[in-house]
Amino acid sequence: MATSLGANTYNRMNWETSDFPILCQTCLGDNPYMRMIRETYGKECTICNRPFTVFRWCPGAKMRYKKTEVCQTCAKTKNVCQTCLLDLEYGLPVQVRDAALKMQDNIPKSDVNREYYQQNNEAALAKTGGSSGAGGKAPNELLMKLARTTPYYKRNRAHICSFWVKGECKRGEECPYRHEMPTDPNDPLANQNIKDRYYGVDDPVAEKLLKRAADMPKLTPPTDKSITTVYVGGLDANIKEQDLRDVFYQYGEIRNINMVTKSGCAFVNFSQRECAEKAVQGAFNKLIIKGRRLKILWGRGQGAPASKPQEEARPLPPVPGLPPSLPQPPPELLAHDFFGLRSDKVPQPPMLRAVAGSVLPPLPGPAGLRMPLIPPPGTHVIHYPSQDPQRLGTNKSRGNDN
Amino acid sequence: MPKVRRSRKPPPEGWELIEPTIEELDAKMREHETEPHEGKRKVEALWPIFKIHHQKSRYLYDLYYKRKAISKELYDYCIKEKIADANLIAKWKKDGYERLCCLRCIQVRDTNFGTNCICRVPRSKLDQIKIVECVHCGCRGCSG
Repeated sequence: MATSLGANTYNRMNWETSDFPILCQTCLGDNPYMRMIRETYGKECTICNRPFTVFRWCPGAKMRYKKTEVCQTCAKTKNVCQTCLLDLEYGLPVQVRDAALKMQDNIPKSDVNREYYQQNNEAALAKTGGSSGAGGKAPNELLMKLARTTPYYKRNRAHICSFWVKGECKRGEECPYRHEMPTDPNDPLANQNIKDRYYGVDDPVAEKLLKRAADMPKLTPPTDKSITTVYVGGLDANIKEQDLRDVFYQYGEIRNINMVTKSGCAFVNFSQRECAEKAVQGAFNKLIIKGRRLKILWGRGQGAPASKPQEEARPLPPVPGLPPSLPQPPPELLAHDFFGLRSDKVPQPPMLRAVAGSVLPPLPGPAGLRMPLIPPPGTHVIHYPSQDPQRLGTNKSRGNDN
Repeated sequence: MPKVRRSRKPPPEGWELIEPTIEELDAKMREHETEPHEGKRKVEALWPIFKIHHQKSRYLYDLYYKRKAISKELYDYCIKEKIADANLIAKWKKDGYERLCCLRCIQVRDTNFGTNCICRVPRSKLDQIKIVECVHCGCRGCSG
């Protein structure tokens, strides 16, 4: 390699000059008014050891200064950010991206071969002018699940103060470093290597992400075939019903969408079960609307809320003003039973069945009380069975429940 | 700062009044010059030098311009002998620079973006409550 720019050796390596860095949104920080320092041939690229143009900037208040670490040729070859070496499109480590897209790279790792490869690559990039990344293809399912939707600015925080960790930081309040205990040094995430991360081998972060992808929960469709509703959670005010309709119409005919603005969720009711199944499969852990990752679950049937059994067990107070059931006929008549009036066969209204013996006083004798039982006013709210929507019997499923 | 007295002339009237303070500041300066740098940051090493330099100039500036306690001859003598920093005092006469800590902090050509030092930013304009010590002289804010 040429050791100085002026040295005129045969087939000399090109030193890189650039006007603008290739960076991800997280590395740039949240401040739109940012200044950068550019230094041509400031450092050698960590991967290819060639001098390149180094950019340095502060990504927002209380963040540490960041600088570009790899040259633009290396960054373009892998379609990664020059600083954090994460994929520009998904913000994921190279290893995860390559595993998901089944990409193979053949960058030589030895000196001369790598230089030759870089030289050819640079010429090719100069012709096409773009990055050689995985652009233009359909988005990968695994990458969509793992990718971040918003920039992760915590990554730009100041480094941990090593003096504070040893208990001897004398700068106190003025210390620009972070006074926090580091994570366990035995944690594999604590030792990362920039070359390994670039080549996508033995990357602890990638292993963690791939493990998370493998452990991701899968939604099993409920056994009740009548459920065709999909729950969508994590909505905010910006997401309107039309946005949901735009996303879910592709899976089949939507019967209706019920937006619950207060709790930030919606219920998308499909006309057919298969459509709902397709929608859950297609949108679970992947649905991102207006930068928000939405939660997808199976809805419960609206006619069968979970809290129903307890309500059923509670005895209902009798309606005043109704005549009680007729008193039992005298035993001599019962013995004949002309009209099939055995006590167990006497049809009774359901309300009285529920409360028999508990609320009503025992019926006195054959010359029984014919007067209706009227409770003293103001003791409790009168319950009419006809007001109870679950007793209406308009819906078949509701009728079955009773 | 004079290492040796250059002029053969005897100091003017009133020199014996300010001499003990000047001597004391000189002794303090010598003490900090010989201080070991161990345990200090690279930028921290020069901070006490700048501080005492500022103090000495400030002492004479106050005596002549504020309290009017010394004669013009004595003040000129101190400037000529470089006991007080004429350039620094010249800045103190300007509006907004009354409390300037050192000349490096207003040297905009030495910074990346052609700006003054952080200690020149008024406290009210800084959005953080955190104390900032400037790298040049350890100043914590010298603008009004």
